[in-house]
Amino acid sequence: MEIQIENLCKRYTSGGNTINALDEVNLTIPANQIFTLLGPSGCGKTTLLRCIVGLESPDSGEIRIGGETVWSGKDNIYVPPEKRGLGMVFQSYAIWPHMTVFENVAYPLQTRKTDRNVIREKVAKTLAFVQLEGFEDRPATKLSGGQQQRVALARALVAEPKVILFDEPLSNLDAKLREETRKDLRVFLTELGITAVYVTHDRIEALALSDSIAIMDKGRIIEKGTPKDIYFRSEHHFVADFIGRTNLIDAVVTAQEPSATIVDCALGSLRCAPLPRTNPGDKVVLSLRPEFLRFSDSDKDGPTNRISGRIDSLVFIGEALEGEVLVNDTSLFVKVPPDSELKEGDPISITVSPANCLLLTK
Amino acid sequence: MYAKRSTLTPTLIAIVGFLTVCPVAMLVIGSFSTNLGTLGGFTLEKYIQAYSDPELLDIIVNTLIFVVGSSFLATALALFLSYLNNRTDIPFKFMFRVISIIPMMIPHILFSVSWVLLLNPSNGIINLFLRQVLGMEGALNVYSLHGMILVEALLDLPIAYLIIAPAMASFDVALEESSRVCGGSSLRTLFRITLPVLRPAIMAAFILALVRSLASFAVPSVIGMPGRIYVLSTHIYRAVSTGFSADYGKAAALGMIVLASSITLIYLYRFMTREGEKYVTISSRGYRPTVIRLKGARYPLFAVVGLLSFILIVLPVLVLFYTSMVPYSMVPSAKAFSMMSWRHWIAVINDPISLLSLKNSVLLGVGGATLGIFLSIFVAYVIVKVRTKASGLLESLSFLSFSFPGIVIGVGFMWFFVQTPLYATIWALLIGYIATYLPYGVRPLASAFVQVHSHLEESSLVCGASRVQTMRRIVIPLLVPGIVSGWILMATMFVRELTLSVVLSRPGTEVLAVQILRFSEDGLWGRLSALGIIMIFISTGLVVLASWVGAIFKPIQEE
Repeated sequence: MEIQIENLCKRYTSGGNTINALDEVNLTIPANQIFTLLGPSGCGKTTLLRCIVGLESPDSGEIRIGGETVWSGKDNIYVPPEKRGLGMVFQSYAIWPHMTVFENVAYPLQTRKTDRNVIREKVAKTLAFVQLEGFEDRPATKLSGGQQQRVALARALVAEPKVILFDEPLSNLDAKLREETRKDLRVFLTELGITAVYVTHDRIEALALSDSIAIMDKGRIIEKGTPKDIYFRSEHHFVADFIGRTNLIDAVVTAQEPSATIVDCALGSLRCAPLPRTNPGDKVVLSLRPEFLRFSDSDKDGPTNRISGRIDSLVFIGEALEGEVLVNDTSLFVKVPPDSELKEGDPISITVSPANCLLLTK
Repeated sequence: MYAKRSTLTPTLIAIVGFLTVCPVAMLVIGSFSTNLGTLGGFTLEKYIQAYSDPELLDIIVNTLIFVVGSSFLATALALFLSYLNNRTDIPFKFMFRVISIIPMMIPHILFSVSWVLLLNPSNGIINLFLRQVLGMEGALNVYSLHGMILVEALLDLPIAYLIIAPAMASFDVALEESSRVCGGSSLRTLFRITLPVLRPAIMAAFILALVRSLASFAVPSVIGMPGRIYVLSTHIYRAVSTGFSADYGKAAALGMIVLASSITLIYLYRFMTREGEKYVTISSRGYRPTVIRLKGARYPLFAVVGLLSFILIVLPVLVLFYTSMVPYSMVPSAKAFSMMSWRHWIAVINDPISLLSLKNSVLLGVGGATLGIFLSIFVAYVIVKVRTKASGLLESLSFLSFSFPGIVIGVGFMWFFVQTPLYATIWALLIGYIATYLPYGVRPLASAFVQVHSHLEESSLVCGASRVQTMRRIVIPLLVPGIVSGWILMATMFVRELTLSVVLSRPGTEVLAVQILRFSEDGLWGRLSALGIIMIFISTGLVVLASWVGAIFKPIQEE
């Protein structure tokens, strides 16, 4: 079910300062996709989620879920959360400590006055789906973190909601369990074909899990697209920096060719992925991701850029060597394979294909 | 959605405001009023009369010595006990829970009486023993400032312990360890690190003990008055209870200074505990503080703890029971045991006023605690969950009565009830009790509400439950432990209430503690003890009943 958000605004005042938690947010969350709101803490993503679910009211704007208006500032419509028919997994899971697993999961059905036998059947089916068969009579707080997380998911799913919302549900799990749960969650949600809205500040989680991502900052949606779009073809400075480690270098356009834009920067003159609607003399920003910087001459197909420098520092972090290369006084963050023989002080030649030189508007 | 809340807060402010501001306002009005007991024209006469009394200076000095001495002793003992419990390998640690909980079931007046029975100079059991068995001259006299300080300190010990022990338990030992690593000796670490870090908790305990001993009436009336040692609370009591006509105006004028100091102290306490939040270092990583090995001192130190719990719990009950069985004060001996009988018990059971006081106290305990908790649930909800400016006002109002010295606030209520048909009814006591003890219901419920994370409520709403359903199925069940402990606290306090009742109780509305005070004034120790034991049984019965009801409503026990 599609969610439409129009001109949503919400302000807080704290200590005399007004904070725009949501600043004219316009967003369409497509039906039956995993949609992630990604951003640094305090960017308004959780506020937006809570407005969708109805736990908070915006100041103005409109929210429609599946065509039905659930909140409207100008028409004075407010549908309370219990009437919105959604499911939600909270960051703390919000497992009710005085109930068993069965009672927790049966709760949404009980509030909808479902027949007892149907409840038993549906709870069993949902628990089987999240691989918690046989846990019905356990006190919910006696489960492990990962199991509690799945109880919370089962509870959100059991009443077959139109939309399911997640508020950083993996942040309380340890790193290994988080990775597994993330994989399981993607499988569950794809299988259900349900609209899922997911809030996180973890970029890897967002990239691995989502069909689409919207990046938020200071109460605004900055950019929206598939994980690959966002990673490879982001248009904004902030987005490129937030979604992964990158080198951002000021550059000036010198020429436009059909297959490339040529720029001049501290690294010299480089062929870059074409950035339309720019003219020679325009100031832009070049984004060079460390994983695209190569250190051998082997890859010779097609035109490449060649950059020469000297290794300034190198640190072994296990899966790679991370370090900085000085090119004409400009420092480049690089990743070298861990078995490399390179040392600090060595001269180095870097090649990078034009397709991986991303230009961003300033 | 917020419509209900927005009417709830003002309603509660009105109710709590009435309960707390009304007696204070009436006290102020009363102190400037010409008539005795009823309102009249404006006058400063009462103040002049009250404060030009040459005796007052002595009384204030006595009060200061009594209050500061007993609070200091109580805090020091509490610090000692919580250190032993939390930081050392002292055996039988469950004893510390016993020390902090059980004494609450023994009413202060009975505790004070038991010390009179043991240590009064003419026929206290210990003194009789010293004279008759050991042939010693002279006597230990409980009717002294020292005696008062000792008994009051023991009474305030549990509350001081309950404040200091959690701070000690959550203390981050790394602070001490780094001091040791830096070369500090263990004594230096104690004085330079441990005590300063715990200072907010220690100060909070001390201030609370000051407030309680300032308001204390049981010890000053049972131990102080026979020895002609008056403190402010008994001085006020004298103004309304003796002589041909009770002078409530003078009592109100005197009460103003007690109330003012008490309110100042309570706000200081509140400030300290707020500052404390910045200070207290709670590590969430489930660390175990290093245990200090007491080695050879283990059992001697435990003996001290054992002796304290004997003095606090066993001795008073034993002395009362013994006194209720023997015809007159005597040293326990074969002769004494052969003379034992139930005659005092029979006399009490046949005494209509004792029976009436029993009925009234049970009624006030059960009914008052139930009503009080009902009000507390809403007040705690607004304070913890609504969090607006208005709820801040409500919090301050409900906190105010923490500082109410019973006898002073009783005088304030007296001025109020005299104007209403409630005067001399049991309702007057009920309203007074709830007003004075409201924080004892609100506090456990507020902490219970804090534990009910808002996500728990919100996820119920998202699941499709209405607000009412959410309250019934999620919030209330999670609150049951808080409701039960709040109810127990209020019920036991109401059953033994003395200071407010001593002013508000009238023929027909006698309550247990007041009846016991009368017996003590008349020296009817046998009957007093019998009624006292019955009182302890009722308190204990209410605690058991409430815990049992709580267990029924709480299907899954958490650990």
